[in-house]
Amino acid sequence: MNQFNSGPSINTYNKLSHWFDFSNPGILKVYSGKIDIGQHISSTLALIASKITEIKYDQIEIIKLSTDISPNEGITASSLSVANSGSAIKAASITLKINFINYALENLEIKNEDILFENGVIKDKNSNKTISYWDFAKTDDFRKIIIPENFDENSIKKINYENNQKIELKTINDIVTGKYKYVHDINFPKMLHARIVRPPSYHCKLIKINEDFKKRLVENDITLFVKGSFVAILSQDEFLVTKFLEIAKKNIFWEEKQQLSNENVFNSLEKHEKESLLVKSGGEAFYEEIPEKKSFDDPKIKSLSTIFKKSYLMHGPIGPSASCAIYKDNKFTIFSHSQSIFALKYSISKFFDIDPNLVSLKFMPGSGCYGHNGADDVAFEASVIAKEYPDRHILLKWTREDEHSWEPYGSASLNKVFGAINDYGEVIYWSNEAYSDTYLSRPSDLELTNFTSYKFLTNNFAKTKSKPKTSAHMGIHRNLDPIYNFKETRLVKNLVHDLPLRTSALRTLGAFANVTASESFLNDLASIKNIDPFDIRINHLDDERAIDVLNNLKEKMEIFKLKDDSFRGIAFSRYKNSAAYCAVGVELNVTDDLEINLNHAWITVDAGEIAYEDGIKAQVEGGFIQAASWALYEEVIFDSKEIISKDWDSYKIIGFDNIPVFTTSVIDHRGFPYLGVGEVVAGPTGAAISNALCNALGQRIKILPFTKDNITKELLN
Amino acid sequence: MNYLDCSFKINGNLKKISIIEDKTLIHVIRDELGLTGTKLGCGLEQCGSCAILIDGEKKLSCNLLAKDYQNCEITTIEGLENKDGLNNVQEAFREFNAAQCGYCTSGIIISITALFDKNKKPSSQEIQNALNGHLCRCGSHSVVLKAIDSLIEN
Ligand code: FES
Ligand code: FES
Repeated sequence: MNQFNSGPSINTYNKLSHWFDFSNPGILKVYSGKIDIGQHISSTLALIASKITEIKYDQIEIIKLSTDISPNEGITASSLSVANSGSAIKAASITLKINFINYALENLEIKNEDILFENGVIKDKNSNKTISYWDFAKTDDFRKIIIPENFDENSIKKINYENNQKIELKTINDIVTGKYKYVHDINFPKMLHARIVRPPSYHCKLIKINEDFKKRLVENDITLFVKGSFVAILSQDEFLVTKFLEIAKKNIFWEEKQQLSNENVFNSLEKHEKESLLVKSGGEAFYEEIPEKKSFDDPKIKSLSTIFKKSYLMHGPIGPSASCAIYKDNKFTIFSHSQSIFALKYSISKFFDIDPNLVSLKFMPGSGCYGHNGADDVAFEASVIAKEYPDRHILLKWTREDEHSWEPYGSASLNKVFGAINDYGEVIYWSNEAYSDTYLSRPSDLELTNFTSYKFLTNNFAKTKSKPKTSAHMGIHRNLDPIYNFKETRLVKNLVHDLPLRTSALRTLGAFANVTASESFLNDLASIKNIDPFDIRINHLDDERAIDVLNNLKEKMEIFKLKDDSFRGIAFSRYKNSAAYCAVGVELNVTDDLEINLNHAWITVDAGEIAYEDGIKAQVEGGFIQAASWALYEEVIFDSKEIISKDWDSYKIIGFDNIPVFTTSVIDHRGFPYLGVGEVVAGPTGAAISNALCNALGQRIKILPFTKDNITKELLN
Repeated sequence: MNYLDCSFKINGNLKKISIIEDKTLIHVIRDELGLTGTKLGCGLEQCGSCAILIDGEKKLSCNLLAKDYQNCEITTIEGLENKDGLNNVQEAFREFNAAQCGYCTSGIIISITALFDKNKKPSSQEIQNALNGHLCRCGSHSVVLKAIDSLIEN
């Protein structure tokens, strides 16, 4: 099993020059198709390259993603950054090192035992002659090398490296001194700052702009941009454009083509037209007849059913989305913090009906990204404006209200769960029906309508129907298939149509709702038979790594005495049943006022070989904090006219006052594939909190978030 | 549009500029003076990312009228470094790698600097008070709290 696979990126980019640039003496520049979205991927990638090549971490630079020069490694999402780019760079590094050593031995005419290897230079102990990676990179040999798709155990063994190195993040010094540049900070001569004047909701046609207002804009040297129902204002002075945005809202009038909805969204999820697919073991969804749910008459078999509900959630980056674009010499150059830099290039070229080579996308950091947020929209919108004002940079920023009201949310959802357990404590039947809107409406050259401004630009407000995705763990049915060996399962994915809000990929897609529901329900089934939560899980698992993670969690939790008036809960998941393993324990207490205080969180994760341990810990603790925030506080509020959750007062998220003490453990599997950790913790976090809360209240709360209102309603039920 | 000649004392430097009369302080800092380490997150005094020091006190700069702060000592994240380099709060954040995307970080460093300037051994309640109103969406909280704790121990 200690064979190492180079990952999918090597299929297309199998030359060393696709990944490495040795043109600057003493510096190794590394290409990657992944971007820093808060997860510090560039530091992890530099560390991987450094560990293997033995070039100092400080001498390795990761080249910022640009569609002109970088490998296309798809979207920076789905916890695949280290799995894809990390594996590719590891494979390239191993290939480089093995070939370099052979080349040096041959050219220096020496034996292995006579070499000194230091920081990318091989020296003959006897003659003091040297050859470096930088020399090697100039040779034909270097250019001809093909990176293999697999490495066997022996070649891996030749490469020695330490795993748990401490590093300084590549970006940290600039961040703490305020020098780190985000798209928001770009400044070009004569650049125009832009803001979009938005209607109250998604389906509004522009009717009228007050003439007086237009005059005022001219007097103040502000440009009005109107295309269809898409309206923006531009000025060289950023303050002025923000000031006039408020005035614009009162002077521009819209016709509402279709309202949002007043109906309770959980009713809509049940009642509206839907497409139902059968999800089979392995996690794929099929257009097949859905079998009837079984029932059990045998008194020795206990069954239970529950409906779990989750509200709409938002990404809510702290810095609203932004992009800078220029149209010059018939070409676009666009600075963006999108996860989907390459897809954007093709979508934008498709919209303008031009050769994709005339669109160049360059990554510039934005605020943290947790899925498909406003980044693609704003880059598209900036390019639309830039096209009309050639040779000038347009810096378009979304406002806080834009971000809160116009981003694609994580869908509200329902899970109807039914299960049966026999006298021996075996789960013999498990049914889980997930109901949700789509988690996948990223724009592409085939789906330009997924840009939020597309309908305003074209004045075409017809609603489009999303299609269910069927591949394993894709979207709504991510982690719907339980990892446990239950005797019989019935899993149904329901893509519900005509729901009120715009939705797309939010960190973990359906997995947060599915795992929270399943792992809560499993505890409820276990408690019918008085089975310990660890035991019910371990008894239904064969995978040793899964069992190790649970045992490790148990051990770590036992070290700490339970505090008075506090309660614990645990949960487990393997992300997509194929990526990282994670078990979470939570200790919390509930005040008389039904406020939930998180005291302690235990996280044990197995992400294969550790690429960067502190990075993994930061990711899983960050993931826990975000998921705890979803579980405890978050809910997008709206009415038939508009989104009500327009700011941080109307959309509460977790603060520093409810951060638990963490005990985080990472299990290392040297030589095993890297498994990303950006998402694995969210589902078990929701469920561990749910389970601890159930222990605290003596009753299962089945609606997220666990606010005082929701808990009260459930207790009264 | 009325313009006003103003002078600001920022990070120890005197800057004379003509600004639109009602320009907010954050726009003077970022747009006129190019100090982009101060971040705009909400413009509504809800997130903390625009925090700066005015006469040593932490203030949110997103809604302040710039012209009212002409006679004050204004310090932004760029002005925290002293002759030995990073200040102790920046140093601790660097040492602990206490940021994910970093968008919220400069505001937090400003608030914690203001706290430790007054009190070398703040209680956990005082630390909580200083962090109140600072939002982080990436979940850097646990590492940030470790970095802050290290300042007390030292
Ligand atoms: S930008 Fe000032 S508090 Fe958010
Ligand atoms: S580190 Fe990204 S918002 Fe705090």
